[in-house]
Amino acid sequence: MTTSKDDTATPTESGAVASEPVTAPVTAESDTPVVDVRTLFEAQAIPFMDQLYAAGLRMTRNPSDAADLVQETFVKAFAAFAQFQQGTNLKAWLYRILTNTFINNYRKKQRDPYQGTIDELEDWQLGGAQSVTQGRSTRSAEAEAIDHLPDSAVKNALQGIPEDFRMAVYFADVEGFSYQEIADIMKTPVGTVMSRLHRGRRMLRDLLSEYAIERGINTSGLRAKPATTGSKKK
Amino acid sequence: MTDCGCDKAKAELEEYLHNELAKTDAADIAEHIANCGDCTDEAHVGVVLTQAVQRACRETAPSDLRDQVLLTLRTLQSNHSAV
Repeated sequence: MTTSKDDTATPTESGAVASEPVTAPVTAESDTPVVDVRTLFEAQAIPFMDQLYAAGLRMTRNPSDAADLVQETFVKAFAAFAQFQQGTNLKAWLYRILTNTFINNYRKKQRDPYQGTIDELEDWQLGGAQSVTQGRSTRSAEAEAIDHLPDSAVKNALQGIPEDFRMAVYFADVEGFSYQEIADIMKTPVGTVMSRLHRGRRMLRDLLSEYAIERGINTSGLRAKPATTGSKKK
Repeated sequence: MTDCGCDKAKAELEEYLHNELAKTDAADIAEHIANCGDCTDEAHVGVVLTQAVQRACRETAPSDLRDQVLLTLRTLQSNHSAV
C-alpha cells in the first residue's frame, strides 16, 4: 500500500502508525527539551488543591473520601496533562475531572433517593421550599440573619439540599464559574444548570431562614447582635 | 406593581447576580434595583446568601494530602521515564 500524501514516512512506518494517530504529537513533544512536565503540573495544578478539596468535601461529605477524591483527581489530571491545552481554563478542566471522578466512583456508594430524577421533581416534592412572599422588613431581617449564621449552619444546609443542586450552587457561588462552564463540568444543558442553581439557592435560603428562626436569631427586623459564642472567623 | 420593572428584575435577578446577563440587560436591572426598595432588599438577600456560602466553604487541604499527592506524582513520573 502506498500513501501518496505521506512522503516522509516509509511504507512500514505508516502502516504501523495508522491505528495510532497520537504517536506524532507525543514524539514531537519528547524531542523538545521542554520544562519538566511534573514541574509544570506542580506549579500550575497543585495550587488548586485547597479549592478542589473544599469542593470534594461538599461532594463526598467526609474528609477521608474528599482526600481520596482529590488524590485521584490529581493522578488522572497528571496522566492527561499532555492533552490539556495551555492557555485554556485549567481550573475548569480540573473541576471536570474531579466531578467525573466523583460521579463515577463515589456517587454510586451513596444512597440518594432523588438520584437521577431530581430535575423532574416539583418543588413541593422536595420539601423545605416554601416560596414565601415576604414583606420588606422581613426580607432585610432575613439578610441580616443569614449574614450572622455560623459557617456550620451553612454547611449543614448545603448538605441538606440535593447533590446536583448543591454542586451547581457551589460551582457558581464559591468558584464563580459561568453557567456555560458549569454546564460543561456537570455535562448538562445550561437550562438545567439555571434550574438547579435557582432551586438550590431557594432551598438553601429557606433552610437558613428556618435555622435562624429556630435558633432565635432575630428575624423580626431588629438588629440583634449574634450570640457571643466563640470568635467569628474572618 | 407589575409595570414598574419588578417582574423583569425578579425574574432575572439570579442571572444578574451571577453576571450572566448581557450588558444592556444588566444595566436595566441595576437601574431598576437602584430605584426600587423591594428589589434592593431581594438582591441583598441574594448577595448575602452567596457570601455566606463562600465563607462556609473555605477549606485548607490537609498537609499530609499535599505530601501524598506530590509523592505520587513523583512516583508516576519516575515510572514513566523508566520506560
